[in-house]
Amino acid sequence: MAVTKVVEIPYTLEIPVGPQHPALHEPLLLKVYADGEEVVKVEVYTGYNHRGIEKLAEKNSFYRNIFIVGRVCGICNNVHANCYVRALEQILGIEPNNRAKYLRVLAMELERIHSHMLINAVMAEMIGFESLFMNIMLDRERIMKAKEILTGNRVVGDYMMVGGVRRDINDEKRDKLIKILDKTEERIKYYKNVFMEDDTILKRLVDVGILTKTDVVKYAIIGPPARASGVKIDARASDKYDAYGEIPFNVITRKEGDVWARMILRWDEALESINMCKYILEKLPSDGNPVPDEKRLPRRFPPCEAFTRVEAPRGELTYYVMSDGKPMPYRVKIRTPSVNNILNTAHVYLGHTIADIPVILASWDPCISCMERVTVLDLITGERKRIHLKELARRREKWVNPRYSI
Amino acid sequence: MGKPKILDLILRNLFSKPATIEYPKKETVIEPDARGRHYADLNKCIGCSLCSIECPADAIKMTPIPSEYEPPKRNPRKIFPVINYLRCVYCYRCISVCPTNAYVSTNEYRLATTKTVFSDMLSLSTLPKKSG
Repeated sequence: MAVTKVVEIPYTLEIPVGPQHPALHEPLLLKVYADGEEVVKVEVYTGYNHRGIEKLAEKNSFYRNIFIVGRVCGICNNVHANCYVRALEQILGIEPNNRAKYLRVLAMELERIHSHMLINAVMAEMIGFESLFMNIMLDRERIMKAKEILTGNRVVGDYMMVGGVRRDINDEKRDKLIKILDKTEERIKYYKNVFMEDDTILKRLVDVGILTKTDVVKYAIIGPPARASGVKIDARASDKYDAYGEIPFNVITRKEGDVWARMILRWDEALESINMCKYILEKLPSDGNPVPDEKRLPRRFPPCEAFTRVEAPRGELTYYVMSDGKPMPYRVKIRTPSVNNILNTAHVYLGHTIADIPVILASWDPCISCMERVTVLDLITGERKRIHLKELARRREKWVNPRYSI
Repeated sequence: MGKPKILDLILRNLFSKPATIEYPKKETVIEPDARGRHYADLNKCIGCSLCSIECPADAIKMTPIPSEYEPPKRNPRKIFPVINYLRCVYCYRCISVCPTNAYVSTNEYRLATTKTVFSDMLSLSTLPKKSG
C-alpha cells in the first residue's frame, strides 16, 4: 500500500525551569516547551512549599495566629498580620486610635518600599546586571534599618496587635526615620532614572511579556501587573482601611503593560510610599497610647465571621476569619495575590525566547510561599484532582484518617 | 550602545570603602530595643504558665526549679519557663502577656551557639543558691 499521508510532528524541547531557583529563590516549576528558541507552551506547577498554615491556624488560638499568619510570607508579614488583626477587630468590635492606625500604615508602607526595591534588584540580576543588583540591595538595607527602628526586627515585624500596634515611636526615632527616608528617596529616584535610560535594561525589558488590559480583566490579575496595564485597582484607595482615608496618595497606573512598565511602576509606587511615610511622620496624631495592654484584651470571641482585604506589595490580599465561639477560629481562609498572578499568566510567555522566561516570571513579583493549595492524590488509582473546599468538607471522613488531620 | 548609566557609580564604589560590615572583627550596629535573646527573672516569675500557653511557636516549657536553688515564695508551684532558643521566633509575646513583667529582654542577636540553647541557666542565675 502506497503512502498517502505523512504526519509531521514538530520537535519541541521540554525544559524544566525550577523547582530549584527558577529565576527567584523560591520553589516553582515552569515546564517550558520550546521550538528552537521560541517558547510554545508553558505549564505552571506548584506545590513544593505547602506548609498547611490555614490548618495550623484552626489549631491555635486567635492571638497565637497573629504571629503564625505573619510567617506566611517573609516580605509582606506586616500586611498579612494587619489583615488578620483587622478581621479580629471586626469580630470583637474594637477600633484602634488614630495614632495606631497611622503607625500601622507606616509599617506597611516601609514594607512596600523594601519589597519593590527587592524585586527591582532581582530583575537587575535576572538580566545579568549584577552591580546594579548589589547597589539596590545596599540601599534597601536602609529601609530594613528603618523597619528595625520601628518594629524591633529588620524583617519579621510582629508589629500588629488587636486594638493597636506593639510599639510606639518617640521623637528621636522619628527624626532617624525621616533622615533614612530622605536618603532613600534620592537613591530611588536615581535607580528609577537608571531603569528609564540604561540601554541594557531597555533592550531586555521593553516590549517583553505584554499583558493587555483585556487579559488583566479576563484573568483577574491584581496588584502592580494590573496597574501597569492601565487597570486602576488598589484596595488602599477603594477600601480606605486604617489611615489610608486620611493620607493623600495617588494610585499610579501605566499603559504599556510590558515588563519594563511593571518595574517602573514599582519605583513610582516606592516613591509614593516614601511621601506617605514622610506625611505620617510629620503629622502623626497623638490621641492616646497606640499600644494596647495585651493582658487585658478580650479572651472570648463571639460567634461571628469577618472578611478583610489589604493591598499587599503584590496585590490584593484577603482574609476570611470565622469564629464559632470557641477559643480557636473555625476557619481562616487566606487568598493571596500571587495565586492569580502566577497561575493565570502562562500565556504571556508564549512567543518569547527562553532567556525571557526568568525576566517575565520575576516581573510578576511572585511569592511562592503565599500561594500553595491542596491537591488530593489517590494513592491507589494514581488519580489526582484539585477540589473545592465544600467537597473537601463534605467528604473529609473518606479522605482523612480520623486520627490525624490533613 | 551608550555607556552604562551606572558607570559613574561603579567607578566611585571602586575607590570608596567597602559597604560590607566585617562582622566578627566589627560589631553590627543594632538598635538598643531590637528583639534579641530574652529570659525570665525568677525573682519576679510566679509560675503562672501564661507565656507557655500563649507562645505561638511552643518554644516555652514550664520546668520545676532544681532543688539546689531557693524557690521564691511567690512561686507556689515552683516551676519556671525555659525557652528553647532554637524554636523561639522572637515575637516577644511572652514578654507582653507576662502579668508580673518578669522577662528580661536584651538586644543580643548573636544566637549561633552550642551552649545556651535553653534559657534555664540564664534564668536560674537570677536566683540565689541554697546555703549548705
